[in-house]
This record gives sequence, C-alpha cells and structure tokens, in this order.
Amino acid sequence: MCTRFKRKTMKHLKIILSTFVLLVSFTACNSETTKHNNADLAVFQCPMQCEGDKTYDKEGSCPICKMDLKLVETASDQIESEAISEESIFNLTSKWHTEEGNEILLEDLKGKTLVVVMIYTSCKAACPRLVADMRNIEAKIPAENIKNVQFALVSIDPVTDTPQRLKAFAIENEMDEAQWTFLQGTESGVREFANVLSVKYKEISPIDFSHSNIISVFNAKGELKHQQEGLGVDNKNTIETILQLSH
Amino acid sequence: MKTLKTILLGLALILLSCGNDEKKEQHTIISDIPVSREMLAELTAPPNVPTPVGRRKAKKLIVNMEILEEEGELTDGVKYVYWTFGGSVPGSFIRTRVGDEVEFTLSNHPDNKLPHNIDLHAVTGPGGGAESSFVAPGHEKTFSFKTLNPGLYVYHCATAPVGMHIANGMYGLILVEPEGGLPQVDKEYYIMQGDFYTKGKNGERGLQPFDMQKAVDENADYVVFNGSVGALTGDKAITAKVGETVRLFVGNGGPNLVSSFHVIGEIFDKVHVEGGDLINKNVQTTLIPAGGAAIVEFRVDVPGTFILVDHSIFRAFNKGALGMLKVEGEEEKKIYSGEIREGIYLPEGPGIQNMPTTNEIVESEIPAKSFEEQMKFGKQIYMQTCFACHQAEGQGIPNAFPPLAKSDYLNADVNRAIGVVINGLSGEITVNGEKYNSVMTKQMISSDDVANVLTYVYNSWGNSKKVVTKKMVDDVKKK
Amino acid sequence: MKTRVFSLFLLCLVIQSLMFGQAKDMVLIEGSRYIPLYGRDSTVVEVKDFKMDIYPVTTAEYIQFVEKHSEWRKSKVISLFADKSYLVDWKTDLKIMDTILKKTPITYVSWFAAKAYCECQDKRLPTVDEWEYVAMADETTKDARVKPEYNQQILAWYEAPRTKENRIGQTKKNAWGVYDLHGLVWEWTLDFNSVLITGESRKDVDKDSNLFCGSAAVNATDLMNYAAFMRYAIRGSLKAKYSMKNLGFRCVQDLKEKQ
Repeated sequence: MCTRFKRKTMKHLKIILSTFVLLVSFTACNSETTKHNNADLAVFQCPMQCEGDKTYDKEGSCPICKMDLKLVETASDQIESEAISEESIFNLTSKWHTEEGNEILLEDLKGKTLVVVMIYTSCKAACPRLVADMRNIEAKIPAENIKNVQFALVSIDPVTDTPQRLKAFAIENEMDEAQWTFLQGTESGVREFANVLSVKYKEISPIDFSHSNIISVFNAKGELKHQQEGLGVDNKNTIETILQLSH
Repeated sequence: MKTLKTILLGLALILLSCGNDEKKEQHTIISDIPVSREMLAELTAPPNVPTPVGRRKAKKLIVNMEILEEEGELTDGVKYVYWTFGGSVPGSFIRTRVGDEVEFTLSNHPDNKLPHNIDLHAVTGPGGGAESSFVAPGHEKTFSFKTLNPGLYVYHCATAPVGMHIANGMYGLILVEPEGGLPQVDKEYYIMQGDFYTKGKNGERGLQPFDMQKAVDENADYVVFNGSVGALTGDKAITAKVGETVRLFVGNGGPNLVSSFHVIGEIFDKVHVEGGDLINKNVQTTLIPAGGAAIVEFRVDVPGTFILVDHSIFRAFNKGALGMLKVEGEEEKKIYSGEIREGIYLPEGPGIQNMPTTNEIVESEIPAKSFEEQMKFGKQIYMQTCFACHQAEGQGIPNAFPPLAKSDYLNADVNRAIGVVINGLSGEITVNGEKYNSVMTKQMISSDDVANVLTYVYNSWGNSKKVVTKKMVDDVKKK
Repeated sequence: MKTRVFSLFLLCLVIQSLMFGQAKDMVLIEGSRYIPLYGRDSTVVEVKDFKMDIYPVTTAEYIQFVEKHSEWRKSKVISLFADKSYLVDWKTDLKIMDTILKKTPITYVSWFAAKAYCECQDKRLPTVDEWEYVAMADETTKDARVKPEYNQQILAWYEAPRTKENRIGQTKKNAWGVYDLHGLVWEWTLDFNSVLITGESRKDVDKDSNLFCGSAAVNATDLMNYAAFMRYAIRGSLKAKYSMKNLGFRCVQDLKEKQ
C-alpha cells in the first residue's frame, strides 16, 4: 500500500513539476524584450561639470579643473548611429543661446531625452503654471533617470529674453541646475521650432504673447514622442514616456 | 485515479457555473460594459438605414466618415454647393448600440477647400468630438468615444462659422440602440429636415450661393426633407405595404427652424419624444427641435399616398417641406371608404330668394344708344349674370336649368320673359318638351340692363330676334 | 546632416545671385495701419513697406527650385519638413503630371518648403497681417472690406467646385497690382500659427485660457466678416508640415535700407 501510494505521488509530482517548468519558460519568453545595447558609446564628463553639459568620448582630464573625466551612463541604445533621422528636430539649423550665454545648435542637445516647453519670461498668466507643470514632471523623475533628461524652456520672445534675463529667470524659479536649460533663438528660428512642435503663438504687445500650452517630449535622437496640451493636465502619460525613454 | 477524476469534474463544474454567472450579470454601469470584438460600421445614405443591432453585444465599432464639398440640385434649375458627410444631405446614418466603443475617423477630401470637424450629440466629451476632429483638407483625424446613452442623436459640423457649415448640409443622425435593440418593425426610414438660405428667391435659377444675412434673420428660402425639394416625392417616395409597421427616424438639422412633423392621413401610434426614452402615443403632429430628432412609429392600415409635411404649412407648399409615403395593398373600406356618393346641394327652399346684392338697382349711367350697343352690353351682362346656369351658348343644363337657345317658352311671350328676369320664377315648366322644376332668383339689374340682356338673348342662338326696350321693361314693372 | 544643412545654405547663396527676373515680378506695397479681423480687440496693426510677388509661385518656378535643391525633391524631403502628400501630384521628383500646366500655382507644398524657397531668393513668406493687408483690396479700392460685392466674390470662390486647374493671372489685379490673392488657392504665411483656433469654434468664442495663454485677448473682431474668417479657419487647421491641394504661396521682400 505504502509503496504504491508513493509511486503515484511521484508520478503526480513529475507532472506538476514539468507543467510548472513549462509555464515559467513561457512567461519568461513573453516578458518585455527591452534589450540594453550597452556596448557601443562610452561617454565621459567632468565630475564638476566645469564645461556644463559637454562630454568627451574618451578618457582624459578636464581642461578647466584638471580632474579625471568620469564615465557617464547614457541612454545607450538610442545613440547607435551618427546620422540624424528624418523625424529629428536636429535637422533644424537655427542657432540658439543658452542662459549661460553659450551658442549652440539644437543638435548639441542630442543624447538626452528632451522635455521642451515654450514660454516667455514676462508672462503673467499661463507660463507660471506651465513652469510649475514642468517642475511637477521633473519631481516625479527618479534621480538615476534625471541624468538622461534635459528640460528645455524655449523663449518665444527672443527680443526681451536675452541670456541674462533667462539666467535671472532660472535662478528666480530655482531652475538653475544642469537638467534645466533656457534657450533664446532668432525670431525666425523660434517660429520654425514652434511649427515643428505645432505650438501656436501670437504677439499681442511688445511684452505680451498669446500661445498654446504644450509640453513636448523628444527622445535622445530628437524625435518627437509625446505631447501634453493644456495646463494642470494629468501628466501621467508624459512621465511614463520620459521614464521609458530615459532609463 | 478516482480521486483525480472527482477533482477534475468538480473543477469543470465550478468553471462552467462561473461563466454562466457572468452572462446573467446586468450591466447597470454602462461605462463598464465590455466590448467583445471589432466591427466596421455600415453607413447608409438617406432614406435608408443600416441593419438593426438586434441582440449583438457591445463592440468596438469602426466608423470612417468622409467629408465632400460638392454641387447638387436644390430644386429644378437651382444648383447649390453642399458640404456633406459621406456625400449626402443629410449625412450617412450611423447605427450603434449602447456601450459600443466607436473609433471615429473623419477624413477631409483633398479637393475640399475648407477645414471641418464633427460634433456628435451622442458623444459624452468636450465639443462632442469637435475639438479632436478639426481636420484640414487632405487629412484625417481619429478619436474614440463610448456610447453611454441610448437614443437618436444629431451630428453636425462645428467649424466656424457653425451656422454656415450646418446650413450647407453638414448634419446627420446617429442612433444608439438600447441593449437588445429597438423592437422590430417592418420598415425603417431616415428623414431629416433642414432650412436653406440662398441669395436668390425661392425658385430663382442658377448656382445659388449661401446668404448669411437671411440665415441670421431666420428667413429661409427653402425648407426641405433630405437636402432638396422632391427628395422624397414621386419615384423617390418611401414605400410600405398595407398592414406593415413603419418607423421613421426623423431629425432636424436646422440651422434655425423647428419642425412640426406630421404625416397627412396617419396618426403616430408611438412617438419617442425628442429621440429619448419618453414615449407618447396617438400623436398627430410632433415637434422636432432644431438640432434634435424624434422616432415615430405607426401601422399603415389603408393604401394611398401619405404626405409628410412640416405643418408650419407654408413651408410645406411653398418652400418644399413635403415628402411622400406610398402604401400599396388591399383597401380596407371600413377604415377609410373613399368617396361614397356625390350630389347637388341647394340650401334655399321653394320660396324666391334675392341674390345677396344691394337692394338698390342702379340705373345705368350709359344707356345703350344702338342695337349694336345693346348687343354688346347685353352680352356682357349675360356672361356675368346668366352664363353660370344657362351656359355660354344658351344650352342650359339638362334636368337643371332650361335652355335659352331656340327656346319655345322664351319665344312665346316677351313680357313673360321680362317678368321672369325682374321677378324670378319657380315651379314646374316645360321648355322644348322637357320638364324643369327649379328656382330662378330675381335679377337685381336695371331696366336698361334687362332690356339689353334680353335683346342679346332674343337675337342669339336661333331665337325670335325680338328687340326689348327699356320702356317695355318699365311697363312690365308697373304692372 | 550638418554638412547637408550647410550645403543648403551655400547653394541658396549661389542660386540667389543667379536667379534673374525676380525683382520685376514684384510690386511695392506701401505700409500703413489697419485693424485686422483677428487680433487683439480691435488693436491697430502697422504694416511696413514691403514688396510682394504679384503672382503666386508657379509650378514651373518650383520645378527650377527642386532641380537645384535636391533636398526638397519629393523622394528626398525629410518627414520633419513635409508629410506624405508633399508634391503628391508630381509623377517623379522633377516631372509633373501631364494634366498640370506649368503656369498653375504650385500646391501640395509644406510651410517649410515654401519658407526655404523664399529664403533661397533672398525673400521670405508674408506675415498674416501683411497678406491680409494687401488682400483687403479689390480692383479699385485699397480697403474694400466694407463693400458687399467684395465679400460676395470671395465667398463665391469658397463655394465653387475645384478650381485648382486655374492658371495664375486669371483674376483681375487688385488696387496694388497683385493678382490671385482671392479666387485661386489658399496661401501659406510666415506666422500662420499665430491663429489660435482649436477648431471647437463654439469654445473659440469663449477664450479657453487653459489651451492658449493670453487667448482672452485675442479674438475675431468682426464675426460677420466670414469670408476672412474662413481664411483664418484654414490657417488654424494647418500644421507646418502639411501639404494641401488648394494651398500654395508667394514671397515678399523687405525693402533694403540703401535704395
């Protein structure tokens, strides 16, 4: 009796075990295949960020403070090729100035997930809310992703919003850290950029503009991936997109 | 083995009963109704409607609607540029079920000049979809909505100026059937009223542009069913057979006017008031608000042509708000017999009655100076006064009014004839061998006129060619 | 990418010097002040003097442009700057359909393409205010907006069936000597995206300040001027990369300081 029972249980156990193994292997196969292509581009940067966001593609020392350059983790799989894709905003050739006074092309922002909004500093109505919306989004991104995200606030009033003014605005709004950048362009460059984002705006008076309230998210290649329209809108989807792009 | 079998059997039973429970569950929270699979919506042009939903489950319904701006005929000789959903005015009929998730794609044909969008009254969401569907020519936009409320709803374009887009024909109906579908009927049709405003007057030929001022003033030139005058008449009438139940989905696109919808010769057995749940019975004429709809149902019991109208009646007969329902089949004389008989109606009794004119006889100011003038004046008076009964050639009407042509009675006695004209005559007489028993009222005309008309009669149609003078008439009067 | 873009600039500079006859197809528009249909509560807008093309850019001229600038050819243009209907009625990169005449206005081009074309000629697209200013004129009057026939004529075009087959110069020139601002095709403007219309027009009257910062200040001044309103509606529905069958463009040029 005893032995017979034992054999039966063993048989049952085998069946159960084998089914279990099969199930596990199936689910493993179906899990998300987010492959990390870590091999390719290693990027180095001064740990004190003496040159701002500037990076080097090999080891060395910072020309300003002479510290060793540190390896920076990048949003790897997205900078595989040097070519700019058709969809990328880096195709725009307009010149911009940051709040630090540096002249850049949009392409210089390549490599990080970009979260962009268009505002102007003398705005009293919506822009403070848009800025707050940006801040809310930034707060929800965990530290390890922030390194891969660049928040850009582009001025639609390049005449008033000089780099100095932008810098003052940044400090006033506690957005002076590396992940925040403010851009002043030319009138034509700004109009072109706005059209890529489908942002509408109109000058009403020298310091007053009417504009649509849109926050746009681009991947590290400069391709538009998501837009959030309106003020105080639920930013769940925006954050999800940023997290996906920036891990 | 036995234990294993019992365990398996037990599991199977539990699973089956679980499944049954789910089916029996009442979906009281409509937004939670699950959708089973995808289905491409069947869109139809008026006056036809798609197949009823019946008992199908809620589905993901794919609707592809195209906007076309094209020229059409408003009425004979009058052309108009219509802006349409799906190429027809009203636009295609959309048939859904409560709980469906409709994936709506609005395409604006590249040949069109203007951007458009759509506001469906069945949508719960901002603008009824208008915000999410604003689309330039050569592009398309997709959005999705869940039908939460059953009913019959209007949809229309909401691009500025909204009134103009609607006035040019951009409206239609979307039906959301309740769970289980509407009760079955034999025939269903789609009718939508609209008002049109043209630069020219009603009927003015040519390509008529839209007139904004008239639209603002709510002064319509045309009020029509289904986009044009005669869209539902003649060959294009809707049809049914005796004994069938007919359901009409009636909408009113406006843009301005409210409709008083009535089918001449029929009574609506049931009216889904304003397209909602409230049912009214035995209704003759129902109000359909601009931007609203109603469902009317009735059984056709007798054959004939039943006219659909907006009972603000000048719109029906002068502006085109008229359609036809042609019913064929066996007659049902009990319900409607048609004409049974006809007869003559003379309200006066045997006594002589005066013609209801003034009692004064005005002596003619211009007496006839010659025979020719007598004939001329006499003929005039005859045609005015005597012709109706005695007819143009004096032939009279058999069994009613005696002839004056070759009349033996007339020619026998002139003074008697004069007396008849000035005093009237009743009772039986025999003229040319036929008996007549009627009433002739006395004629309130002057002596001159009596003389003239009798001269004319005597000198016409083979009579004795007597000449009657005023003096002769006066003499008879004095008697 | 960078090299490609810089070469575009170089080419433009070279071509600009080679292109002839452009200046004589333009007229001088004397600027002044006016109240546009769409703006801030009847605020007067000032338009400075400028020169405007008397005709919209033609298919023939655009063929010349893409011959020299291959990056704007149908097969090469990038999706950032043009959608799939860019030059859809052309057979190949350089050949148009046989049914299209060369003197027809070029259409099915995006804003980016139109902008590049004008820039290559040392010109630019007109602003909405400039375009509307010149378009206010009929044959005899510079501001014909109050004339009912002026509006009627424009509306008749909006209602007329397909007029793309029309050639340039078929309408009478207006008081400035400019042709075809009405009655031919819609035209791109430099700041078409300054028209803050959502398309949900019932709300557009209601100034949705959630979607548009400062929109309370900007509205249509005359809702009865619905001829102009429809132009604004079209502008509001466009995105810069769109191409449309009934949408072309023309260029304007700022006056040089030294004459």
